[in-house]
Amino acid sequence: MTGDPALWHRLQFAFTIVYHYLFPQLTMGLAWFLVFWKYLHWRTGNAQYGAAARLWARIFGINFAVGVVTGIPMEFQFGTNWASFSKYSGSVIGQSLAMEGMFAFFLESAFIGALVWGEKRLGPRNHFLAALGVALGSWISGYFIIVTNAFMQHPAGYAVAADGTLKIGSLSEYLLNPWALIQFCHNQAAAVVTGSFVIAAVGAFYLLKTEHTEQARLYLRWGTAIGLAAALLVAFPTGDAQAKLVAHHQPAALAAMEGRFETGPMADITLIGQPNVKMRRLDNPIRVPGMLSFLAFGTFHSNVQGLAAFPEDTWPTNIELLYYAFHVMAGLGTIFIGLMGLANLLRWRGLLETARPMLWVLMLAFPFPFIANTAGWMTAELGRQPWLIYGLFRTSEGYSKAVNSGDVLFTLIGFTGLYFVVGLLYLYLVGREVMHGPPAAEVL
Amino acid sequence: MVEAWFGVLCLMITFFVILDGWDIGAGMLHFLVAKNQDERRVLIAAVGPLWSWHEVWLVATGGVLFVAFPRVLSIAFPGYYLALFLVLWTLVLRGISLEFRGHIDDGMWRSFWDFVIVVSNTLLAVLFGAALGNVVRGMPLGPEAELSLPLFTHFGVEGSVGILDWYTVSVAVFTVVTLAAHGASYLTLKTTGDVHDRSRRLAGRLWLAVAVLLAVVTGMTAVVRPELFSGIAGRPLAWLTVAVVMGGAGAIGTGLRYGQEARVFLGGIAFIAGLLATAAVSLFPVILHSTLDAKHSITVYNGSADPASLWAAAWWWPVAFVLSFFYFGFIGKHYKGRVEVSKDSQQPY
Repeated sequence: MTGDPALWHRLQFAFTIVYHYLFPQLTMGLAWFLVFWKYLHWRTGNAQYGAAARLWARIFGINFAVGVVTGIPMEFQFGTNWASFSKYSGSVIGQSLAMEGMFAFFLESAFIGALVWGEKRLGPRNHFLAALGVALGSWISGYFIIVTNAFMQHPAGYAVAADGTLKIGSLSEYLLNPWALIQFCHNQAAAVVTGSFVIAAVGAFYLLKTEHTEQARLYLRWGTAIGLAAALLVAFPTGDAQAKLVAHHQPAALAAMEGRFETGPMADITLIGQPNVKMRRLDNPIRVPGMLSFLAFGTFHSNVQGLAAFPEDTWPTNIELLYYAFHVMAGLGTIFIGLMGLANLLRWRGLLETARPMLWVLMLAFPFPFIANTAGWMTAELGRQPWLIYGLFRTSEGYSKAVNSGDVLFTLIGFTGLYFVVGLLYLYLVGREVMHGPPAAEVL
Repeated sequence: MVEAWFGVLCLMITFFVILDGWDIGAGMLHFLVAKNQDERRVLIAAVGPLWSWHEVWLVATGGVLFVAFPRVLSIAFPGYYLALFLVLWTLVLRGISLEFRGHIDDGMWRSFWDFVIVVSNTLLAVLFGAALGNVVRGMPLGPEAELSLPLFTHFGVEGSVGILDWYTVSVAVFTVVTLAAHGASYLTLKTTGDVHDRSRRLAGRLWLAVAVLLAVVTGMTAVVRPELFSGIAGRPLAWLTVAVVMGGAGAIGTGLRYGQEARVFLGGIAFIAGLLATAAVSLFPVILHSTLDAKHSITVYNGSADPASLWAAAWWWPVAFVLSFFYFGFIGKHYKGRVEVSKDSQQPY
């Protein structure tokens, strides 16, 4: 194998984590719907809530299983593929990774079996508690992962040990990293958007087919109402706060996200345009003057640094991809607010159920939150480059020197094949559950 | 402090081997004790509700290794690169086979996943056994402390060793049979009817095979790492762990003799825990033993994280450990007793 070995390690990690994250975002998004439906079923005895919880618990179970099995490799790849990085920072980021296992996975995995298998054995109260346990577990798990990522984005709570590696300076500073708190809110709101869109899509599908119409109304009501609230939260205050953090702490990343090369006040925000790194400009731009200065620092006259202000070896390594990832995320986020806003307007007027074009749009829109969230994740991770730990440790130093590139390529191909098959089976099974509709209580 | 973390690591590995061990064992016996779809459903229902909780012990152990012994992780994980990916892929297959099988009521679909269950669980036992064999045998660690082991070389334990050699393969076989026996004991307790009778017969035969293999593997270990045995006299704790192994074996023997199923099962747990503890006590303080020169070995002292990090983790780890048993208690309460198809059906259509 020729070329840079770090590239193969990066590709493998990127592929496995992007694939993995498709599942937990839906799990985390659906979890609270399940909790509320189980609660309402338990307290009111309304069979509609019970049936809804039953269908979505089955889909949740399939999704959870794939999320878990694709998540386990991630933890081990820190060691297999990023050994130098693990040696350098393991006793810091190991804290949150081990906490995820000890605090979140035990909780989730103990209750998932009960949630999916145990409605009859547990009874309504305990079955509700099982749903609550799984929901808490999945969100706690998300928090610890984001703490780990936030450390890589904006190191906090560490100290340097005698041998030059990192050690914990303050565990509370590490766990309460402001970057983690904001990123967590942004991320979880986005996960709820995913869950809402999927639920609304199934509701729209049933109405268009005039099947399970009672259930369909329930899904549309909850999906669009919570979907709108979550989509708004993704943009403001969480997305805005996240962008301000990037502006303050990773100015080169912000410049690349906006395809901005020159420094100055009254910085424009780019709606459309293609970054041309070779010529150091943005081709075919459509801009809103001053908006970037305003959004990043609060006044139109604040100075926003362009890429030219930074040494080239600290530029993000893939400016074009970062630029497009950010714009896909932000653009889709805006569309989600409009789409859910319109759906709610129609619903308040009592028109949603008969507005067939709108139902078609809602049904077909469900993949887009997955795309937006993946693009968001890529924005965060590409923006961090060329650093593995921002300002401390470069990506090019972090990979496992003892592993040869051929082995990495082999395992990358292995993952691609395995995940492709798993993905097909997943789609088939979830599709089947949706076609089948909610299982009736008496046969459970 | 580092000694305590070594203890925690060994404790967590032991929990994983015992708890997930019976899921793996039951998975290996899938075709042997369950002859039709209803019986196989019983087998899956016997492990279904808790296997993911069991598997988390492996993930959490990885986390603890990360935080307490990052140097061990950064040497061993790349060193055993391909073997670890085999473990990961096998875990993927095992996890989805248990979940996916129940979603479609179709003979061909289920036969396929039954096959995946048997293959993946057996392969897992082989891989974990080979891993244990490697820890005992050691690995060619030089002064650079970098490692890259091929899957196999000449199958000898000297010189340029691979992951698989005659010794590690033997430990793998021993592990397969032991976990199968453990799984059979579990199924004996958890099932009724034909499945129960077959599990019970198998448990008897398998535990007998374990006794024979244990003698063989102990002899081999004396050849491969003689110092483990010469050192044992100076370690009173080792006498205790060996006593646990003997006690466990005795309980299995008498339990089988008098038909006390719970005694066989608990004896099996003591036997496995004792074996792992004996290994841990006799290896201590070495975690990664260098076959080239003992001075290159990674021990709990030169492989551990900075004390500040160990102390930080010492605050939260016990809390999480205790909490995890609360969840288990809540769930375990509802799954007491033998599996019934009517109550534990996973197929609502």
